[in-house]
Amino acid sequence: MKEFVCILCPNGCRLRAGFEPDGETFRVEGNSCPRGAAFARTELTAPVRTLTTTVRAVGGERPVLAVRTAGEIPRAKLMEAMEAISRLTVRPPVRRGEVIVHNLLGAGIDLIATDDLAAVLQGGLKDVTPL
Amino acid sequence: MKQYYTDVAVVGGGPAGLAAALTANREGAQVMLLEREGRLGGILKQCIHDGFGLVRFGEKLTGPEYAGRFLDQIAESGIEVMTLAFVSGIDRTGSGYQLRVICREGLCVIHARAVVLSTGCRERTAKQVSIHGDRPSGVLTAGAAQHYVNLLGQLPGRRCVILGSGDIGLIMARRLTLEGAEVLGVYEAKPEPSGLARNIAQCLTDFDIPLYTSRTVTRVFGSERLEAVEVCETDSQMRPVPGTAQRIPCDALILSVGLIPENELALGLGLSLDPRTKGPQCDQRMQTELPGLFCCGNALHVSDLVDYVSESGETAGRGAADFARGRLPQAKTVPVQAEGPLAYVLPQRLSADNQEKTVFYFRAGKSCGPAVLRVRCGETELLRRRYRALRPPEMERLVLELPAELPAALQFSLEPEEPGEEGKQ
Amino acid sequence: MTRLDKLNRALEELCGGSVRAQAEEDGCVRLTGSLDNWEKIVQAGYLAARGKKWRGVLNDIRFTGQEIPPMRTPALQDNAIDGAQPDVLVIGAGIVGCAIARELRRYDLDVLLVEKEHDVAMQTSSRNDGMVHPGIDLKRGQLKQRYNARGNAMYDALCRELGVKFKRCGQYLCFEERAMRPAVLLMPLYFRLKGIPCRYLGEQALHQAVPGLSSSLRFALFFPTAGTVCPYGLTIAYAENAVQNGARLSLDTAVLDMQREGRFIRAVQTNRGTVYPKVVVNAAGVFSDRIAEMAGDRFFTIHPRRGTNSILDKRASESLHDIVSTMGALKTRSAHTKGGGIVLTADGNLLVGPDAVETWMREDFSTDAAGVRAVFDRHSETSPQVKQQDLIASFSGVRAATYEEDFYIARGIHTHNIVHAAGIQSPGLTAAPAIAVDVASMAAQLVAETRAVGQNPNFDPVRIPIPLLREMSPQQRDQLIAQNPDYGEIICRCEEVSRGEVLDALRRPVPCDTVDGVKRRVRAGMGRCQGGFCGPLVAGIIAQELGIPLEQVTKKGRGSELTAGRTKGGGSL
Repeated sequence: MKEFVCILCPNGCRLRAGFEPDGETFRVEGNSCPRGAAFARTELTAPVRTLTTTVRAVGGERPVLAVRTAGEIPRAKLMEAMEAISRLTVRPPVRRGEVIVHNLLGAGIDLIATDDLAAVLQGGLKDVTPL
Repeated sequence: MKQYYTDVAVVGGGPAGLAAALTANREGAQVMLLEREGRLGGILKQCIHDGFGLVRFGEKLTGPEYAGRFLDQIAESGIEVMTLAFVSGIDRTGSGYQLRVICREGLCVIHARAVVLSTGCRERTAKQVSIHGDRPSGVLTAGAAQHYVNLLGQLPGRRCVILGSGDIGLIMARRLTLEGAEVLGVYEAKPEPSGLARNIAQCLTDFDIPLYTSRTVTRVFGSERLEAVEVCETDSQMRPVPGTAQRIPCDALILSVGLIPENELALGLGLSLDPRTKGPQCDQRMQTELPGLFCCGNALHVSDLVDYVSESGETAGRGAADFARGRLPQAKTVPVQAEGPLAYVLPQRLSADNQEKTVFYFRAGKSCGPAVLRVRCGETELLRRRYRALRPPEMERLVLELPAELPAALQFSLEPEEPGEEGKQ
Repeated sequence: MTRLDKLNRALEELCGGSVRAQAEEDGCVRLTGSLDNWEKIVQAGYLAARGKKWRGVLNDIRFTGQEIPPMRTPALQDNAIDGAQPDVLVIGAGIVGCAIARELRRYDLDVLLVEKEHDVAMQTSSRNDGMVHPGIDLKRGQLKQRYNARGNAMYDALCRELGVKFKRCGQYLCFEERAMRPAVLLMPLYFRLKGIPCRYLGEQALHQAVPGLSSSLRFALFFPTAGTVCPYGLTIAYAENAVQNGARLSLDTAVLDMQREGRFIRAVQTNRGTVYPKVVVNAAGVFSDRIAEMAGDRFFTIHPRRGTNSILDKRASESLHDIVSTMGALKTRSAHTKGGGIVLTADGNLLVGPDAVETWMREDFSTDAAGVRAVFDRHSETSPQVKQQDLIASFSGVRAATYEEDFYIARGIHTHNIVHAAGIQSPGLTAAPAIAVDVASMAAQLVAETRAVGQNPNFDPVRIPIPLLREMSPQQRDQLIAQNPDYGEIICRCEEVSRGEVLDALRRPVPCDTVDGVKRRVRAGMGRCQGGFCGPLVAGIIAQELGIPLEQVTKKGRGSELTAGRTKGGGSL
């Protein structure tokens, strides 16, 4: 049995989970909802996370654009995903929800913009608040 | 100077202000929303991590996405939004309030029947937690670090020490690690972490970042750029223990050591602050002691979930609209009292005309195991609820259906169960 | 027994046999030897200075207890001022050096002011309590006393000319022991004889004048000539007025060595080239003895003394509007400070401090928790309003004290073409305007030995300051915003500083390209959040204005970059 915290909601339930000695029956304790039980199983077999980060932007009112994976990706691939994302550049305007990369790392998950980013016309830089 | 007239003026366009403005507008009031920065959204703009909106939308959204849902509604609402508009002071007048506003068009005065203060909070600084030494660059609050990384694409340091295990500190530990910085550890002066358990799991454990409790940073070294910090063990009073100092080379110290509600405008109007919440006292409509002046979100008390910030904004917005339209009766109030290990209960008083479901927020003053919360009004017990565990960082929300008449003060008391009783339940 | 024998015997008693005094031909006494205890070294210096039996104390006892850090010097190496032949080279752009440079421009002199730091007023001039002293505890015959009295009288007109805020608020010296009353009643007469206006205040009058004081304070002396000024604000104003009148300022420029021929300095080496001045002015603060040594004209020793001040939130200053100090807690008072006090700064914050700690580190600007706590403990006795929870910042400065505990203002003796404005510590800020007038005149006379020196007909004493919008009437402010909308965009919320003011700070006669520089000029980041909100914004404005990437913007010059570079996905605008 392994002990860990459920990260699905702010309750942060302390879970105890693992396979019975028979190797087939999966047992979870400490969860207060069925989603917690499902989480425990994935967490012990193939943990996944949503990645949130930024992408370089050129010609926008900010130098970076906030993005996230549209779904969860394997936790082990977070750093690899960061490397792939660091090679990207977006050109504003970008609208929240727009897909930045289809099928990131071939994991079947898209990378989407989580914020709007307006384009800035050449020469207009000085009037822009860097916010 | 330009003069504007409105029913409700909302000061601050973060999550609380957005919700307040939308609700007041929906309730039929004419609304002006004033935002100091160039874009609405407040601190959510830089909170690019996910986990927002679970309560409200049943989804794990990022900060900008959560704000975006409100911004879309604002755009269609007819609410007049002023950005880059700084409210420098508020005066009371016979018919309401006058807001002195500075913006790129000049100075202007907004006359409002009711005002909602949703000015958020600020972060405690290094000197306020008694970190000494010279003043090199590389010492910054978690919020400033977040601004640099998430909005400006700048890395505050390559070897970072984080002081304080508040949620922003934990989130930044993960964010900096993802961006290639080495986070040497998160140090917490208290014996237990102050952030949410899930954030410790997904921000620290996931990335093997050590968490050191009962330890604090006492000194910084370096005069141009930070070179190292001195870390000491702390005693039960959070004071550094002599002889335990240790020097840790690093180039950034990131502080997540507490938030302080911003209430300069309220103070300017002569309101006193509740020493427990550091915000104005309010009733169940988020109305302060001044009629027509409402306060919500982190300016009222520091919340750990944005969903509750929005909720308090909605309550304040509804109250402000009702007030502006003359629908809010002047009623006597009864106090709400907190007993036992409760840090505070909000609202601090109730207007006695209460006939609705009333939302209360409370926070434990110290961590306790199983405990029973009792709510009484005079001899009548209105609620008895058992909590498995309560921790100061985790704010609790409670909805009570109160009797139409409140003859006496409402008493909240928290009674921790005896350690031995746990097994019997 | 000669005075030297007596001194040597006393030194032996103090330090054992490891220290010797010897008489120099020029009338100074030199202490040599080595000690691992800094306190003893300082005591030995005082011992030698006692009774003023020597022209000066040269305390060359080697400190073996710890390594004395070398002078911080800029990493920059170039030839920006190589070959310059100014009439006067002023070393050090603190309040004294900047004031001298400005006063020198009243004459038709070519003036070059060099400063090793990246901005003016980076050390003691920005790290003090900003008090303009009435001169209470100064003794007749001291240079300190003379210059303080003259300098104090100059302040109103000077600050008007230079566009600097100055408040002549007066100082209350409070007493708690009733037994002292008869003596205190006589004191106004004594002070008036010394030329210092003074009034006695009884208990009721005191508490009426200063609400918020501790009730244990019984009576007080009031000195109406005391005031407060922003010390770095005045230094920057002096420097700007000097530059605007044609003085050249070279920052990041450290004096490394000098070449002499006979009794004359011929060349001065810096990291930015060699300069050939006619006259050198030594205004090098804590390093003024090192410069004097280079010039072969040293008659004093600096023993650095650190003092820490703390700044309180503006909210804490609501009822205290004056300078208050007490004579009550004498046992915690160090002998060589004004005892510290509660000062309402010219910008409206309460300031408490300073303390006084002897140190071998001339540039140690660190603060420590115990020192800050001690200052608060003491001043909360004076006024219960002084609470450490209101603290927003603490800072330390290092006083350039000599063992004679007096200024050293004189033309060179061994070396002909140098003027010293050295050993300037409290009340140096008050005295600086008067010192500058005299030192400029001495330097002008020296130049006049080589060529005729006249007045500068184009000298303009008036400096137009950066507009201070938060203190303007709404009409004025509105008008200014109409002319320049940047004045209507608030960047620093705590101090209400606009984008326009930040940009102004970057476009003044004295170059400014750092976050701290902006902070000291327009107060962005000085407030209760200490730049948490506006820091990144100010950095962004600096980057835009200078056309440099954000990662090159610094806090206070090279080596203090704000960030460590771009994030993985960090882009550019």
